[in-house]
Amino acid sequence: MSVTASRMLVRDWRGGELGVLVVALVLAVGVVSGISAFTTRLQTALEQESHRFLAADTVVRSGRPLPAEWLDEAASRGLDVVTTLQFPSMVYAGAENMFLASVKAASDGYPLRGALVASPEPFGEPQPADRGPGPGEVWLDSRLFALLDVEIGDTITIGDADFRAVAAARTEPDQAASFTGFGPRVLMHYSDIPATNVVQPGSRVEYRQLYSGAEDQVDAFTEWLEPQLVTGQRLLTVEEGQPGIGSALERAESFLLLAGSLAVVLAGVAVALAARRFSERHHDYVAIMKSLGSTSRAINSLYGRSLLLLGAIATAFGCLLGWSLQAVFFALFSDQLPVQPGPSGVRPYAIGAATSLVCLMSFAWPPLRRLGQASPLRVLRRDLPLEQARSLVDYAIGLAAVALLMWWYSGDWLLTLAVLSGLGLTVLLGMVLALSLLRGGRLVGMRAGSIWRLALAGLQRRGNANALQVVIFGMAIMLLLVLVLVRTSLIDEWQMQLPPDTPNHFMLNISPAEVTAIEQTLRGESIPSQAFYPMIRGRVMVINGEELPAVDDPEVGRRQRESNFTWSDELPPDNRLVAGSWWEKGTDEALVSVEEEFAERLELEVGDTLEFLVGSEPLTAKVASIRALDWQSMRPNFFLIFPPKVLAPYPATFMTSFHLEQGDKVFLNRFIREYPTVTVIEMDVVVEQIRAIIEQVSGAIELVLAVIIAAGGLVLIAGVQASVDARMHESAILRALGARRELILGGLLIEFAALGLFAGVLATAAAELSVFILQAVAMDMAYKPSPWIWPVGGIAGMLLIGGLGVYNCRGVVSTPPVTVLREL
Amino acid sequence: MIKVENLQKRVPMAGGELEILKGITLEIKSGQSAAIVGASGSGKSTLLGLLAGLDEASGGRVEINGRDLGALDEDGRALFRAEHIGFVFQSFQLLPALTALENVMLPLELRGDGNAEELARHYLGRVGLAERVAHYPRQMSGGEQQRVAIARAFATRPSILFADEPTGNLDSGTGGHIVDLLFELNREERSTLVLVTHDEQLAARCERRLQLDAGALVES
Ligand SMILES: Nc1ncnc2c1ncn2[C@@H]1O[C@H](COP(=O)(O)OP(=O)(O)OP(=O)(O)O)[C@@H](O)[C@H]1O
Ligand SMILES: [Mg+2]
Repeated sequence: MSVTASRMLVRDWRGGELGVLVVALVLAVGVVSGISAFTTRLQTALEQESHRFLAADTVVRSGRPLPAEWLDEAASRGLDVVTTLQFPSMVYAGAENMFLASVKAASDGYPLRGALVASPEPFGEPQPADRGPGPGEVWLDSRLFALLDVEIGDTITIGDADFRAVAAARTEPDQAASFTGFGPRVLMHYSDIPATNVVQPGSRVEYRQLYSGAEDQVDAFTEWLEPQLVTGQRLLTVEEGQPGIGSALERAESFLLLAGSLAVVLAGVAVALAARRFSERHHDYVAIMKSLGSTSRAINSLYGRSLLLLGAIATAFGCLLGWSLQAVFFALFSDQLPVQPGPSGVRPYAIGAATSLVCLMSFAWPPLRRLGQASPLRVLRRDLPLEQARSLVDYAIGLAAVALLMWWYSGDWLLTLAVLSGLGLTVLLGMVLALSLLRGGRLVGMRAGSIWRLALAGLQRRGNANALQVVIFGMAIMLLLVLVLVRTSLIDEWQMQLPPDTPNHFMLNISPAEVTAIEQTLRGESIPSQAFYPMIRGRVMVINGEELPAVDDPEVGRRQRESNFTWSDELPPDNRLVAGSWWEKGTDEALVSVEEEFAERLELEVGDTLEFLVGSEPLTAKVASIRALDWQSMRPNFFLIFPPKVLAPYPATFMTSFHLEQGDKVFLNRFIREYPTVTVIEMDVVVEQIRAIIEQVSGAIELVLAVIIAAGGLVLIAGVQASVDARMHESAILRALGARRELILGGLLIEFAALGLFAGVLATAAAELSVFILQAVAMDMAYKPSPWIWPVGGIAGMLLIGGLGVYNCRGVVSTPPVTVLREL
Repeated sequence: MIKVENLQKRVPMAGGELEILKGITLEIKSGQSAAIVGASGSGKSTLLGLLAGLDEASGGRVEINGRDLGALDEDGRALFRAEHIGFVFQSFQLLPALTALENVMLPLELRGDGNAEELARHYLGRVGLAERVAHYPRQMSGGEQQRVAIARAFATRPSILFADEPTGNLDSGTGGHIVDLLFELNREERSTLVLVTHDEQLAARCERRLQLDAGALVES
């Protein structure tokens, strides 16, 4: 007897056997490839977005001039290049007015990524600009206009050259959210630098070369460049460009990766279910072929080839579906996206295809192959126990295959481990449930009232099959819960990070005499402000008697460092002790509390003795504690904190931060005139920028979540359908014996709802485990248990599975029993 | 009392309809035994299913104990079956996940019978399977499964028992034993018995013989 694979598939298709499997395969490939293409493209987009904070794709920074050959090399490789210089300089207007500003000079084309923001008058409406100031022009920080008493169109002087102020500079894409180079900004053109004569050998200048271009070209160039960097020259990463955004985008990327991986698992489960059903329905086919004289080799090769052929066809359609899904999505939403989606490449489609083929082969083929080897009699008599023991091995192999796929997809073993441990816990709890159902269920099943008895009897009767189903439902629900939880804590965290009244302005250089007056002014304008912190600038010179080198090289960690000190008797809010202890209130002991990263760079430990120079006064203190703090909070933060009595003899100024609405900004002009020596740093545009990006990223995350929830729903439906056959058969027999409609539907409802409840509770436990591992280890977030999820998980599972189950079985009560029995 | 008037059954098929039953009229009195015979494919199982209210007719009417089955919906017929009818299927239709005892208890439990287990044990004893109560269908031979099915059909003491080729799958010895059992129980319970068979000997033991030919009743 010879049946070709294609002919068998055609027959199966006509007989209606293939429908479920084909749909599952096509959907699996479609969802996996669609979601991973979507996330890949979004990820590329986010990566580009993050380059905005470098104003380029890659940047080299140095305190000394950078070789011009690098620019030539980059240009010859087809990259765009820009040079920038940043230095502090006095800016003059007429004879009276002068101010120390932070000057940045940039060549044409700056910025290569992102945009400059300027306004036509000081504190005016911020508008993105196509280009920076041209030769002979400058843009001035809004408050410089007041400080220098100039207006748009007036002339200012830097060194030996005069410039016309043409606009108010608001933000640059690579303006770091820190105040390292403070002083109000002056933007000028790079070609004007020689005329000013301010940049001399030895002056404090930061040189940058910015490069951008196609990703592979940039990568190739970076590879070429890296070995040539000498001490003092370094490549910048996004994290340094903008710490807040960097970590937000990084987490968004992990989320997308997680979402894609979950899609892989969900699709795997869906295919596994359909494949199981396929092989079960082919049980008799194999039995009959065997009894008609087919050899096991013939059967093996028949099914091997059929499944491969089927997988290939479904993969083709699935890829098409996946491609259309993401294309439609981007077509619909492209104008709402922050950035141009990047290319996805073929990898997402390869992953989709591999997922479906691997799951198909590991779930459909092994049972059929074993049937092919068994004697026809055993096949016909359906020796179930043996089959079940073996199928556990199948599932294990399948799960391992899915795990590998997930690892391949995410390239992140921690993430894979987190999800797998959740899945593992689901399986474990499912097995416990199966055992208790089989042991305890029987007694209960014989006594309870009639619908309940029927349902309970049903539950325990199919103990093993039900446990398997609970595990599958549990897995699907768990994956969805994981995603919901991670999404919720991500978005919560982001919102907490930047609440509506986030301080968006900093005030420095407040003399002690001005503090009360300024406090009153702010209160009078009802402007919410943080506490006023004293600030003293000093330099670490000696650690435990060892003199530090006086190099000005950012690459060297253990060197003399200048830093801002403050004093406090209490640990500031948001600060967390990681070592040592806080001092007693009012102590006059010479102690100091050091920020974690600062301590790391200087290799400090609690108990070390530090010697500082404050102005020209020496100060010695012992490290009492090491603190971690949140640099993204936009509140005043300090590397070094001393007890008040220790710093009392040194001259201090004060600083604070406050929140100012866009419409209230004119206040600043009045304020600056009144307190000309106070430095105001405007971070409002930066804060808004961060907020906008986080909003867009949150939007993208919600969308991906919606798609995955839809995919999870499909898996649940497939799972319910896989179990409908057995229940329909049973219900039809009950019906033939005269069972009422309410009894059958009620029994089914209770049975499915119970399965759903078990699955939901199981899933919740597993999800908490996964999320714990994900957040605490993989995504570096603070893990918080979510008690609300327990009732939600259980009830959602109950309603969902109960509803789906009854919906899928409803036909059995409206159809004559013979019809059902004939069809099954 | 079974009264059938002009009963028809048609099923849709590619390029038209297949007429399985072409207007059957007959009457079987309470307590009578009747055999439906005929060539394979002549419509015997279909007729039996309709008589038992397991299927919907395309035309005509079936009246059992004065009740018009066509006037009942599927749920009404289910209740009616639970009350009045027992059925032995050609292919047993036992629930594979239930033991023999549980299979027999099932229709009793559906009626809310208080001593379902006792009755089920009694009837399993009557069919000679007292020792096999805890076994699952797949652990039993075809004949044993059929006996469980018969015990299940009698357990509710239906007023009419339908049996579709109760011996079709069995050897003549076992078949003979099962037939004896059927008639014996039928006598004891004073029920009406309608069975489908290819076995002339079995048909001869019935008081009436209804011959089907291509969906029509031929007098014999
Ligand atoms: N739902 C259906 N769809 C298509 N054909 C049907 C359907 N039900 C019955 N038939 C056809 O109607 C005819 C009668 O079927 P039925 O099962 O009543 O035969 P039977 O007399 O019991 O035969 P056998 O002695 O082989 O059991 C057969 O040809 C069968 O194929
Ligand atoms: Mg028949």
